[in-house]
Amino acid sequence: MSLVGSVVIGSLVALFGVPPARAADESSSATLASSPVINAVEVRIGAVLASNSGKEFDQRLASLHRQFNTLFSYSSYHLVKEERQRVPWGARAGFDIPGGRYVLVIPREYKNDRVSMKVMVIEGTRPIVDTVLSLRNHATFLVGGPRQADGVLILSIGADMLH
Amino acid sequence: MTCRETLNLLPLFFDGELEPRQMRAVAMHSTRCAPCEAALREIERLQEVVSSTLNTRVDEIDLSGLWTAIEPRLRARQLSWWERVRAHWQDPSPWELRLPAFAAAAAIAVLAFLFFARPPQPAVTEPAAPQVAAVDNAASIDSLEADSDVTVLNDPETRTTVLWVSDDTSVGDAP
Repeated sequence: MSLVGSVVIGSLVALFGVPPARAADESSSATLASSPVINAVEVRIGAVLASNSGKEFDQRLASLHRQFNTLFSYSSYHLVKEERQRVPWGARAGFDIPGGRYVLVIPREYKNDRVSMKVMVIEGTRPIVDTVLSLRNHATFLVGGPRQADGVLILSIGADMLH
Repeated sequence: MTCRETLNLLPLFFDGELEPRQMRAVAMHSTRCAPCEAALREIERLQEVVSSTLNTRVDEIDLSGLWTAIEPRLRARQLSWWERVRAHWQDPSPWELRLPAFAAAAAIAVLAFLFFARPPQPAVTEPAAPQVAAVDNAASIDSLEADSDVTVLNDPETRTTVLWVSDDTSVGDAP
């Protein structure tokens, strides 16, 4: 097995092996995104193509306008994909994103108004980001940098508690 | 990808032997399919059992006398570094053969000087320390691993956390 393969599988095993903090038993972990879920979290991911070709700001990104203008120097921002999934605690959510990449998210726990989750962004067979972080309920953090078309991809990842 | 295809590929997926496209397809399918996820967890459990059993058996082997048996033999054959250097210079080989050694030593000396003379640069890929009172969109990062360079930006103005990825295949411009 190659080194890269080992790294990826090690990460994936770690990901799959994460013990749920508030969790869900076997039957609830089997719940799919489309099934009704109680006491779960809704994970949302937006894929934004940022470039310097054109000067358009996608109006669907209005809530992120200030962040993008402050943090980045691109002239054009276009939302290419947006997806939400309801995920039980400890279960996994997978999101396809442009460029043959995908994102795996495992919500771990909700504490002090913050959602803790493991996030992996995978390109090919390698995780370009593998992180565990906590985020305020309804908040959004950004992952940027992967090349896409004539610009870069910026992912907005957030979580909303469901009661 | 169907369940049958996924189940056939799960062992290879677990061993990391799939091509990127198949790896992605299996990973995505297993996040959405309870039976395939259960099968994957079963493979994980099997792996854990095998690993645990092997480790137990290895731990039972008494290796305490191994190094004490090897070490005396190594000492008998070992020359000090000074003896090796002296033997090299006493070797009546042509002078030209020693020139590469001089060149390498000079190069190392120059590199060492440049390295130590350079002012220290702040590391930019270190994950931010866990934040106690982060608010709004600021994320508290507990761990961060990456197969590429990742810079963590915590912008105080917008209270937003950004993980910026730049590597060989994804040479993103700095934000």
